[in-house]
Amino acid sequence: MNWFGFWLCLATLFIIGLGFVWVIRGERYFGHLWWPYVMGAGVLCILGSLFISNNWASALLGAFGASLIWGSTELKEQAVRGEIGWYPFNAKKILPPFVEVIKKWKAPSL
Amino acid sequence: MQINLIGPAAALATFLGVWLGHVSVRKIERETVHLWKPTVIAILLSAGFAAASFLTSSMPLSAICGILSVTLLWDALEIAVRQPKRIKHGHAPANPKNPRHARILAEYPEATTIDWLDRDPRGAPYSAAELASIKESAK
Repeated sequence: MNWFGFWLCLATLFIIGLGFVWVIRGERYFGHLWWPYVMGAGVLCILGSLFISNNWASALLGAFGASLIWGSTELKEQAVRGEIGWYPFNAKKILPPFVEVIKKWKAPSL
Repeated sequence: MQINLIGPAAALATFLGVWLGHVSVRKIERETVHLWKPTVIAILLSAGFAAASFLTSSMPLSAICGILSVTLLWDALEIAVRQPKRIKHGHAPANPKNPRHARILAEYPEATTIDWLDRDPRGAPYSAAELASIKESAK
């Protein structure tokens, strides 16, 4: 019996669950325009996982990277949820560097 | 330096599991009248992937199967419980051509055919009057 997948699936469930929390909180305090940085961090995590020899650390970093990429695509919808009153709206968000450039890009949404 | 494929395998399975789950749950729940059918299929697929993750000796394959197993189990919960709740609260668009959704539209005043999330953020909250006007325009 190989228990690696079983324990990893529980850890991934936790990572995905954590994703719901940081997307909600992150959008509230920072806004959806951070999405390119979040997506970039996710890509870096996955690339980094390639070079980690420990299987557990590599798998967890890979799953975390994927959850960051997924979360970056959720930020736009979360921003709308805040604006229509499903979640608290915060007008004083901490905007990302190069915000005017990012505003010209279409935010991804799955 | 040796390349470890377990990380990208876990990443791929996580992203595909979440993405496909996200998209397919919305689509399946919208079109299906009897939700127990896709729910049971998702649970059976989840059990199959769980069994495969136990039986394989390959670590990347065990990782992929384990992660797909848990995301499919979550999809079953989404199809049976969470997405219908969103429809009832108007947080996801109802499909009036689906008799189950048509009943929800008749019974729950908050249920709507509007996809509230199909818009770009504008940086300011909507007033109650604006929301009512959007809802009215969809009728």
